[in-house]
Amino acid sequence: MEGSGGRMSTTFNVVTSQEYKYGFVTDIEADSVAPGLNEDVIRFISAKKGEPDWLLEFRLKAYRHWLTMAEPDWAKVDYPKPDFQKIVYYSAPKAKAPKYASMDEVDPELRRTFEKLGVPINEQAALAGVAVDVVFDSVSVTTTYKEKLKEVGIIFCSFSEAVKEHPELVKKYLGSVVPSADNFYAALNSAVFTDGSFVFIPKGVACPMDLSTYFRINNKESGQFERTLIVAEEGATVSYLEGCTAPQFDTNQLHAAVVELVALDNAFIKYSTVQNWYAGDKNGVGGIFNFVTKRGLCKGKSSHISWTQVETGSAITWKYPSCVLLGDDSIGEFFSVALTNHKQQADTGTKMVHIGRNTKSTIISKGISAGDSSNSYRGLVKVQPKAEGARNFSQCDSMLIGQSCSASTFPYIEVQNRSAKVEHEATTSKIGEEQLFYFQQRGIPAEEAISMIINGFCKDVFRELPMEFAVEATKLLSLKLEGSVG
Amino acid sequence: MTLAATSNLVAELLAGPRPAEWGELREAAETRLAGRDLPTTRDEDWKYTDLKALAGLSFAPAPKATVDISGHLLPEMVGTRQVFVNGHHAPHASCASAVPAGVRFFPMSHASEACHALGSVPNGKSAGLFEDLNTARFQDGAVILVPKNMKVALPLHLLFITQANAPVAVFPRVLVVLERGSELELVEEHHGSGTYLTCPVVEIHVAEGAILRHERVQRDDAEAFHLGTLKAEVAKGGQYHSRTLSFGARLSRQQPWVRLAEGAEASLDGLALLEGQQVADTHSFMHHTEPNASSHQLHKCIVDGKARAVFNGRVRVAPLAQGTDAKQQSRNLLLSESARVDTKPQLEIYADDVKCSHGATVGALDPEELFYLQSRGLNADDARNLLTYGFAADVLTHVPVASLRRALRQLVMARTQAGSLGDLS
Repeated sequence: MEGSGGRMSTTFNVVTSQEYKYGFVTDIEADSVAPGLNEDVIRFISAKKGEPDWLLEFRLKAYRHWLTMAEPDWAKVDYPKPDFQKIVYYSAPKAKAPKYASMDEVDPELRRTFEKLGVPINEQAALAGVAVDVVFDSVSVTTTYKEKLKEVGIIFCSFSEAVKEHPELVKKYLGSVVPSADNFYAALNSAVFTDGSFVFIPKGVACPMDLSTYFRINNKESGQFERTLIVAEEGATVSYLEGCTAPQFDTNQLHAAVVELVALDNAFIKYSTVQNWYAGDKNGVGGIFNFVTKRGLCKGKSSHISWTQVETGSAITWKYPSCVLLGDDSIGEFFSVALTNHKQQADTGTKMVHIGRNTKSTIISKGISAGDSSNSYRGLVKVQPKAEGARNFSQCDSMLIGQSCSASTFPYIEVQNRSAKVEHEATTSKIGEEQLFYFQQRGIPAEEAISMIINGFCKDVFRELPMEFAVEATKLLSLKLEGSVG
Repeated sequence: MTLAATSNLVAELLAGPRPAEWGELREAAETRLAGRDLPTTRDEDWKYTDLKALAGLSFAPAPKATVDISGHLLPEMVGTRQVFVNGHHAPHASCASAVPAGVRFFPMSHASEACHALGSVPNGKSAGLFEDLNTARFQDGAVILVPKNMKVALPLHLLFITQANAPVAVFPRVLVVLERGSELELVEEHHGSGTYLTCPVVEIHVAEGAILRHERVQRDDAEAFHLGTLKAEVAKGGQYHSRTLSFGARLSRQQPWVRLAEGAEASLDGLALLEGQQVADTHSFMHHTEPNASSHQLHKCIVDGKARAVFNGRVRVAPLAQGTDAKQQSRNLLLSESARVDTKPQLEIYADDVKCSHGATVGALDPEELFYLQSRGLNADDARNLLTYGFAADVLTHVPVASLRRALRQLVMARTQAGSLGDLS
């Protein structure tokens, strides 16, 4: 065992140093505003997008509140605070024409980027059965499958388009789950968001395909402030996928998105994310700051919201996809795999707020830390006094790979109703040398063995992912861990 | 969100003259306290425990008093007790005649400043304000020194009684030093009547291979505030096992802080029985700083009425502490509509070869278990009381002093109304 242990350590050290695969910069002349933030910048963004007055007011109100707020420092992450006056709050790729008739008209540079990313945007998309609403540096470029979705009454478009074409829906739901003053980064987003996605599934409609969006940060120093709003009316169901990759930069980039989900009676929203923003290099230089507010409101009776996330990227992650279980018999779920390596720091988890009767929530969180990284689970399970019969089960497991990483678990459990049943478990362990030895003795190389063990560790989460994401996620974890396991 | 409670309590408690002994220690504490105020619910560490009720009161230094302690005597410890009333040593109530030779067990006021171990357990971050207040103003307390390899057969008994006719503040202080290979059982009890604030500080040094078993019983008055600090340093291969039973006080908070050296063992068990408007908070910190130590925590709360239980159990495994085995369980039983539990177990791990786990549960009695007992002929109330008693009793199983174990069981039976079922102890 002694000898094999030593050999494994060396293998492990070789295994983790996979460089970022998607580190390229597209050269597109951006139509940007000067760096800095004030009310004029907000008015500029709003005017540029031809927004109605109420939306400008929403932005300004958020901005004025944001000015009174302090950047949160309770998370277990350590990073230089961004200078908000150095950020470019608006940049749009220069367009030849406002709309494209076909893909051929799209900037070839942009198309090459998508090809490198493997975005299934044309025939590939049809084969993959995925409708992709591509957000490229804040402005939606092209949308597929719109017609097909339109037939059943589904609206899937960029946020800007939704503001123009369905203002009544946007006005009704925007900020209804994440109020503009919710937290520091949500307030900032509410003030300066540029674009994002809007999904509306009408009553009784089951969305015939998985909806998906790729986000990409491209313009150097341009913060990304995406806004996503998904509404599922009574009895509607939808599965939404979000995947991220970003080019390699040395200066930190801020990403402060807000995602709001609203599920009415008997509606089901499944939101899956694979997050692979640039994490900085091995020494922790560069990388994305990912400060995201994601929240779902189970507004209706028996509504159901399920978050699945695979977090592998970003230098700093601060993200707590949550469910507010307002409707009686509603269900909230959170399935998460968070992997950190090198100098990455992640503080992620969820909040389950039980308000309605007989509400149920499940939390499965798997954290893997390697290298010098820090990985924390932070979660809240709150049972309010009227939440008769609330039920929660949480399981948070951590795995440590190497001696200089850390794993923490901070579950907050607040129960104010005696009929509630709340259970939380957490364990921490490492990949056993014996497990590895067994694999190797059966002829499976250490690297592959590690990948298999990790996949087994994350199985409960991966099986919640839509098929194509599950494949991608499995590959991603293996890539991310190459050279690190010991 | 509660706004910062501006109170003068800290300044008020420091208003009196600084006692002459331990001057340097007290001065340092006062320096740290300068300009400080009571924490508010905005402080993460006090998020669930609001001290507003305390901020509205003012406390005078406690005068000397005499009390009848006959009700508190335990047969095993008749000749091994030190009693403190209102923070002052009560020589007539104390009796150390059965303390074995070599063991030193005396009031702190008799200790010379040469007893340099006091204040030498480093400040855990979670300690702080109330510990410093104690250091700045403690009147008296107990010193226990057990020499090398001595296994003390009789348990030692510490009795702190507060009698308040008007609101008073007391600051009991305890220093326990177990030298290499020694063993001791210690029983620490807090009783009282009236409105008062007590901020006890217990400092413990367990040397290599020594074993301390520490039973702590808090039965303060229902109008009292108990804000206690415990700091234990456990050296290589040493063991520290404590059990804290909280019954009294309007608001109580225990802050045990334990640091484990190589191969050390520690357990911090707890039981809180709460009713009415009581708040009981336990903020523990188990710090594994060296390899191969193991720790265990079982914390149970039974919450009735409008009471609130708070648990914040932090376990930290430092980078060097490979081979750590740490377990922590927070179990909570809600008996009434308006009872409330906030629990937050925390694991912070910086070493990879460890086995750490924690768990937390909150819930009511299991309807199936209730049904089972009823199917066996118990009425609904008895079934409920028996299950409640059973939930609590498992913490008491290992209380080493027989008379104390019996007394505690009876107390728990009375509180869970399981007494009508006969003697379960």
